[in-house]
Amino acid sequence: MDEEILQGQVRERLRALGEVEIIVGIPSYNNVRTIGYLVKAAQEGLARAFPHQKILIVNSDGGSKDGTPEAVLKAGNDLDSLMVVEHPLYPVHRLTTPYHGLPGKGSAFRTLFRIAELTQARALAVVDADLRGITPEWFSLLLQPILALGYDYVAPHYQRDKYDGTITNGIVYPLTRALYGRRIRQPIGGEFGISRRLLSRFLTRDVWSTDVARYGIDIWVTTTAIAENFQVCQTYLGAKIHDAKDFGSDLSSMLAQVVGSVFELMETYDSVWRNVLGSLPAPLLGIPFEAGPEPVPIALGGMLAFYRQAIRDLLPVYQRIISSPQLKTLNANAALPDSEFTLSDELWVAVIYDFALAYHRRVIDRDHLLKSLTPLYLGWVASFARQVEIETVTQLEGRIEKLCQVFEQLKPYLINQWALQIGETRSAL
Amino acid sequence: MNAFWKQAIIGPLRELGQQAVASLSSLIGILALILLGLILGWIAKEIIYRVLRALRFDRLCDRLGVGLVVERTGLARSSSYLAGQLVQGLIILTALLAGLNALGTPLTRNLVERFFLYLPHLLAALLVLVVGALISRFVGRSVLIAAVNAQMPSARFLAGLTRFLVMALTVVAALDEVGISRTTIIVAFAILFGGLVAAAAIALGLGARDLAHDLMQSQFRPKVHSEVDDPKRHL
Repeated sequence: MDEEILQGQVRERLRALGEVEIIVGIPSYNNVRTIGYLVKAAQEGLARAFPHQKILIVNSDGGSKDGTPEAVLKAGNDLDSLMVVEHPLYPVHRLTTPYHGLPGKGSAFRTLFRIAELTQARALAVVDADLRGITPEWFSLLLQPILALGYDYVAPHYQRDKYDGTITNGIVYPLTRALYGRRIRQPIGGEFGISRRLLSRFLTRDVWSTDVARYGIDIWVTTTAIAENFQVCQTYLGAKIHDAKDFGSDLSSMLAQVVGSVFELMETYDSVWRNVLGSLPAPLLGIPFEAGPEPVPIALGGMLAFYRQAIRDLLPVYQRIISSPQLKTLNANAALPDSEFTLSDELWVAVIYDFALAYHRRVIDRDHLLKSLTPLYLGWVASFARQVEIETVTQLEGRIEKLCQVFEQLKPYLINQWALQIGETRSAL
Repeated sequence: MNAFWKQAIIGPLRELGQQAVASLSSLIGILALILLGLILGWIAKEIIYRVLRALRFDRLCDRLGVGLVVERTGLARSSSYLAGQLVQGLIILTALLAGLNALGTPLTRNLVERFFLYLPHLLAALLVLVVGALISRFVGRSVLIAAVNAQMPSARFLAGLTRFLVMALTVVAALDEVGISRTTIIVAFAILFGGLVAAAAIALGLGARDLAHDLMQSQFRPKVHSEVDDPKRHL
């Protein structure tokens, strides 16, 4: 942990800069299309909201080849408050593509946290470099709750299309909420604000070389803040529109990285979540407005074909993970015609809990386990999309709330089964 | 008369008695060694079974998939029990061979010597088979999941083929280790593979080019999901 992540010249520059009150961090990798606008929006928003505070905008780049750092410097109108650093990349960062498309995002976060610590910053806001829909107000919305209200962690809250963010809606949000008892609607949003107290805590953790920091840094930040009882809130930012450039990335790997990180954190914080039942709302700041999110196209046919093939071909794998009553129902549902296909909330929650338990017990290789979830997840997406077909974006929240309640109701099953070993009789839900 | 009696009757009888006593003591020695082997084997089995159980060896085997094989084949009630039984068997076998060796005849001595020279190869072959079976299972499952996630209709076939190829290589390596018709096996394996590849190449390249094209396209070309063009939408 004592290893110094900042290069000598960066430390020199920070020493010359002295104390800073607010830092905005932008981790980037090949984001030349969006980063110029982002820097301008940050400078404008910060100048407007915090005219008397000393501010620093830091771009932590992961070795972009498209001139991203140059674009940052070109866009900045006040170069004294702008800094471009390159976060260290280890061989594994170059070999694997994390779901967020940014090699070494954990390393970027660590760099930003260290800069914030050295400059004694009171608050740090981090934003994804591929955002298109960001406005100057976002920075104030992410930082004010820390500076003015004493919160430690400000999570984003967006309005999204009903078919957007289905991993968040179907797994990450309801599961995190049921586990830790706080309703953070966008736990892997990518944007957040944190206090000095929290970032100092993060820096004491030795996670930076682990898979969680490599692939699941967003959920790690949120989970650590909640599980370690920091003051958390949410801030309404409007619509989230990101630059769609990762067409080549693989959904299965992305899902495995995100869900694997949530499961890994369940191991770390099992003494916390096993004592939690129910959930409490996290304060939502800002004024929710109709933001008009970008519509997301969806094609159910392909998803259902995928689901049916997996139920047929991966049955021996699922038999080791999912308890038999649930597997029988999944099997029976595969025979239904598209127009009648549905996965009930109870079934979906039981499947997710069985996957978490199988991950915990290592019943099969963990990568195999996580990747075998993809077809079931797409089956759930198809079922969910059918259910919310005629609902509006606002009505969607009610539907997700219902799913979250089932996650909470069935949590005793997860708690009871957690301590059992392989081979011990598992009671079905 | 007296001398004749002693030389013709009593002498041979005494010799026979001495030989019988010597053989009997050897037999008792063998039986004692076997009995000792049985007792030591049983004790070793119980100790190994209990220690492995305490060390959660069964859990490890379950994770590796060995537990399922043990359970399905009915070899033993658990993997740790099977490990205990293997050690017990080895101890009993060693005791039996030591007993045979104690007979001291050239035949038994030669048999024991050859067995001990052969044993390392046998154990190495067994190890190769176990490791190969585990690898084939792991790689087969990797291929199966990856192929299903790529929506290849032939996922199970590909996984089965992978498992078969890894196991075939494993068996060849194991047989090679024990020295069974080494050259014949390698040549047969090479001919089989070469023949298969050549036949497939001729069939696909010449005999059914169009069919092969259509088949490859339908079987191995991953389907494009228009709905997941940008997977980040799912986050």
